[in-house]
Amino acid sequence: MNGPARLLVALLAAALGGLLLWVLATALAARPEPALAEAAFAALPLTGVGNPVTAVLLDYRAYDTLLELAVLLAALLGIWSLGPPAPAYQRAGSALRAMVAWVVPLLILTGGYLLWAGGQVPGGAFQGGALLGAAGVVLRLAGDPRAGLPGESLQRLLAVLGVGAFLLVGLTVLAFGRDLLDYPTDWSKWLILAIEGAATLAIGATLAAAYVGGRPPGEGR
Amino acid sequence: MNASLPLAVCLPLLGALATTLAPARARALGLIAALASSGVVLWLVVGVWEQGPLRASLGGWSAPLGIALAADGAVAALLAMTAMVALAISIHAGGYFRDPERLRQFWPLWLLLWAALNALFLAADLFNIYVGLELLGLSGAALAALGGGRAALTASLRYLLVGLLGSMTYLLGVALIYAAHGQLDLALLGTRLGPGLVDATALALLSLGLALKAALFPLHFWLPPTHANAPAPVSAALSALVGKVAAWLLLMLWLGPFAAVTQPAAATLLGLLGACGVIWGSWRALRAERLKLLAAHSTVAQIGYLFLFVPLIQGLDPGPERTALLGALLLMALTHGFAKAAFFLAAGQVQQLAGHDRIDALGGTAQRLPATTFTLGLAGVALIGLPPSGSFIGKWLLLEAAIDQGQWWWILPVLAGTLLAAAYVFRVLARAFNQEPTPLHFVTQVRAELPGLVLALLAVAGLGLAAGGLWGLLEPVEIDR
Repeated sequence: MNGPARLLVALLAAALGGLLLWVLATALAARPEPALAEAAFAALPLTGVGNPVTAVLLDYRAYDTLLELAVLLAALLGIWSLGPPAPAYQRAGSALRAMVAWVVPLLILTGGYLLWAGGQVPGGAFQGGALLGAAGVVLRLAGDPRAGLPGESLQRLLAVLGVGAFLLVGLTVLAFGRDLLDYPTDWSKWLILAIEGAATLAIGATLAAAYVGGRPPGEGR
Repeated sequence: MNASLPLAVCLPLLGALATTLAPARARALGLIAALASSGVVLWLVVGVWEQGPLRASLGGWSAPLGIALAADGAVAALLAMTAMVALAISIHAGGYFRDPERLRQFWPLWLLLWAALNALFLAADLFNIYVGLELLGLSGAALAALGGGRAALTASLRYLLVGLLGSMTYLLGVALIYAAHGQLDLALLGTRLGPGLVDATALALLSLGLALKAALFPLHFWLPPTHANAPAPVSAALSALVGKVAAWLLLMLWLGPFAAVTQPAAATLLGLLGACGVIWGSWRALRAERLKLLAAHSTVAQIGYLFLFVPLIQGLDPGPERTALLGALLLMALTHGFAKAAFFLAAGQVQQLAGHDRIDALGGTAQRLPATTFTLGLAGVALIGLPPSGSFIGKWLLLEAAIDQGQWWWILPVLAGTLLAAAYVFRVLARAFNQEPTPLHFVTQVRAELPGLVLALLAVAGLGLAAGGLWGLLEPVEIDR
């Protein structure tokens, strides 16, 4: 694209953005009542968690999160179907290696903390999983071709863990005549923690495997 | 509470997990999951037939805090079509993919796609539709790339990017609606939406996103290369089901919760885009040199027909007239689903035997595959809209309504599209029958040929002769949920 055309596109995009901002401002100004936040806070005691974001993600709208985890699985399966990964970077020098030996355990520890803390304060499966994934990226950058991930069958297990835990809990309560994912109140906290734990591992493994960028070794034999 | 609604999403998902975990047994596990998913849909359809529209809340929370799933007669019919086409594709895929490695990659992605289709048809929440669209787009693009080769990869990458653009645009619309109304449940929104700047802008964004995914003219540019280069079972799923669900969501939003926002002028614009799609898609199909490309262009046209109904239904109050038109719209969508899936499965069969799918050189190959050629012919009958196919009744009702309402100009694209469809179908059939008949077996490869043939028969005879049953399902039902 040449200069004037690019300028025109930029101007049009800016005008569209301005228009949307204006409409959004109109919508916010004319809002008749507060959004769902109040209802979400009011129902919090029934969920067994203290963090409203976790309550939305794992309880009120858990079905959305279940499908989001399926999206991650689809992305990973798509990446795996494209063939073997590019070769890893060369082995790190001693200074980087020493740092990696520090950083990776710290990332895993912090990920675990975020998972546990997510019940009461900001944190949770997606944040914890992102840190685990980052640990995998650091390992791969330092020359580990597998980014710290296990062999193929275990990797497959990790990839389906999040959706699997969700479905296991959801279908079990469904079998007892409740709604899908309608946790019994007494168990709610622990069921949510179990699902979140599985989801953290799945998200971490999926992100790391996506960074490796190809099917795990051993597949297709 | 009816467990069949959540199970219709969960069972294909469960199958996707099983086939991911045990790739060596993917085919057996996948077929079991496909049968189980179809069984649950049958249960759901029986439930809707006996009890009317069903609704299931999830997580023990009712709207607006929680998410619900809803199924009325139209959704039940679409889910049933999806299940039948998906079952046929599942059986066909076992014979189509010669490389066991490809088959292992196909199964989990295919079941994820099926779960996304069911989730979208059942969705009753604006944001939940977004999540479903993401799952649909990602698994669809990954499946389209299974064809391998440069053309397939380029096309599926473009498909992925267009899909992402579509879902992002849709998400902007969702954000606007949530900012203005603080709700996402479609039934609750239906009572609150009205004419006004914010709601109209939101509807425009939602429609733009969905139109990109449905390949409504002029946003169809990505469809022909993607559908023509994917493996045949995947093309069948993309053309018959994936585009259909996006178009359905768009129509459902316009005629349901957003009905108070829509204006006759906007509805006419949508109808006009549909008309352009009908003519342009049919013309390009006539000019196509390859069988799968022809089928892909014809999908653009068939999606266009669905939007011709919008200006006719938009002004109607609930009543028999509206129900008849909704039924006709549904009949067109269902017939195209069966016929196009059958067409693509047959085209894939031709391509595998001949090593190409050039229409000019079809003769000898088609001669050796009588069942496949018959399937192409039957699917063609349904695409043209000859009696007794379902699309004949659909087009008939469309024309009748256009004349009744004095909007006669909608007749022109229907006539032109039908004429062009007849031309492109007979162009294929003329090539297929241009040699001396050789008495070979009617069916050469049962597993690969029979599913397509059954789908084509359903499109031509099944839907046309059993259309009354469809109205029975629709009768007490309106489209809004």
